[in-house]
Amino acid sequence: MVKKTFVFLSFCFLSAHLQAQARRIDTVAVSILDRMSAVIGELGSCSVTIKSNYDVASKELGLVKHSDEEQLYLHGPNKLLLKSEGDRGSRDLYFDGKRLSYYSLDRNQYGQIDAGLSLVEMIDTVNKLYGIEFPAADFLYPSFVDDILADSKELVYLGLTRIEGKECYHIAGRGSDKTFQFWISDDAFSLPMKMVIVYTNREMNPQYEAVLTNWQVNPDLPDALFEFSVPLKARRVRLVPLSTHKK
Amino acid sequence: MQTVSKPTIFFLLSMLALAGIPGEGIAQRFNHGGFSRPGAPAAAPARAVPQPVRPEARPAAPPARPEIRPGAQPVERPTINGGSWNSGNHDYSRPAEAHENVPVRQNVTARDRVNVYHTGGYRGVHPYYYHPYRPYYWGPHWHPLGFFLTALASDAIFFSLNNQRYYYDDGVYYQPSNGGYSVVSAPVGAIVAALPPGYETTTAGDGNNYFYFGGVFYVYTGQGYQVVMAPPGAVITQLPVGAVEQSVNGETLLVYNNTYYLPISQDGQDAYEVVNP
Repeated sequence: MVKKTFVFLSFCFLSAHLQAQARRIDTVAVSILDRMSAVIGELGSCSVTIKSNYDVASKELGLVKHSDEEQLYLHGPNKLLLKSEGDRGSRDLYFDGKRLSYYSLDRNQYGQIDAGLSLVEMIDTVNKLYGIEFPAADFLYPSFVDDILADSKELVYLGLTRIEGKECYHIAGRGSDKTFQFWISDDAFSLPMKMVIVYTNREMNPQYEAVLTNWQVNPDLPDALFEFSVPLKARRVRLVPLSTHKK
Repeated sequence: MQTVSKPTIFFLLSMLALAGIPGEGIAQRFNHGGFSRPGAPAAAPARAVPQPVRPEARPAAPPARPEIRPGAQPVERPTINGGSWNSGNHDYSRPAEAHENVPVRQNVTARDRVNVYHTGGYRGVHPYYYHPYRPYYWGPHWHPLGFFLTALASDAIFFSLNNQRYYYDDGVYYQPSNGGYSVVSAPVGAIVAALPPGYETTTAGDGNNYFYFGGVFYVYTGQGYQVVMAPPGAVITQLPVGAVEQSVNGETLLVYNNTYYLPISQDGQDAYEVVNP
């Protein structure tokens, strides 16, 4: 009989193995997110309407729900226009590849930040330095799936359901400080249709929810769309970094 | 003590109001890293590339994995984010230890094992396609679960895992029983240096290869092929003898070793997809 060469190793003593067993990563969910991220990564331009709801924790009233409606225009590699209306007021964000302009329609004030960065670098930098949020921007990160996997204890595909009349893959996950859910369209483009984040490490567990509709894939967006022109009598103010706020 | 003039206070307040910045961001919170470089050129950070170690000799080489993309890829036209990273080839061992010590409050009483799937359970990505179950045997040395042998081949491999004694012979796992040896489920975590001829490969959606032989799934590690739980979404073409049909939501699934298999058709061939009803 041919001498067998099978050799076994016991892994039960390896903590890494035990840690790996504690996670539950559904590879179908990963595949769906991969598909979505790959399509976004190939887009030259896009526009989408984002309706978001978010909680503000109040000691007197508990979680108070607020909402915004935003229209986002993106053009690779470094142009963005975000028009936002809602409980935070009417605001526009222009990024022409060199400078980010923040305009408050309510106050007729604007601020500008020089940022010769790519689109995602600008979003990330401005978010971290100035606290300015870009709705559902997580989807735009090229490392989106890696980042999800790095933080997920659980990631599960739950099945098909409908969002805004469109059939979607429903994915849920749990990270160290949040739970999250994504709904990804079950069509050729596999674009994100909805996301929910529940912050389990914050008081009262506030939620963020965004529904993404009216996706336009690779629209022809003129450069002028992303250039900010100072409105009549608008007053310029300086945008203050977060570090200044905390002092 | 310094005094602050009214115009200065107004100026600061107007700056805060313009920014409209909440105390804690809530819309953009997935711990993305490597982008906060104000003034830096638009280049993606380098990514860690896992390097699986291949055994020098084995019955058949596993399919080569695609190379991990190190970052933004050169494209003919500019894209909005330079292209996604590592699609289909993620480093699952990349841990998120930064938040391991963050206490998580559980304000809501959550039930364990509540059914959270739509339509009563996990739906496979392949459409249901019933075909009759034909039990499969992986050669004369392969035996189904529960099969009893009075003696094992002299070159069967003994190993111990989780304080249980096992023997391995030609893709089958045994434990001592009633003076002989009974076929048992493959213990998750055991590693074999090579797989017997006749195994098949499958992907469960993430681009990682799974290996399947005798009703057992394996992943390739640097040390060999490790027994794993059946991965949902994996597609295989054969089920061992011992599977039973079970009706779930009007569909006839196959159950083998506590794993549910959805009958499907793939490339015109009868197959099964691992599901979690």
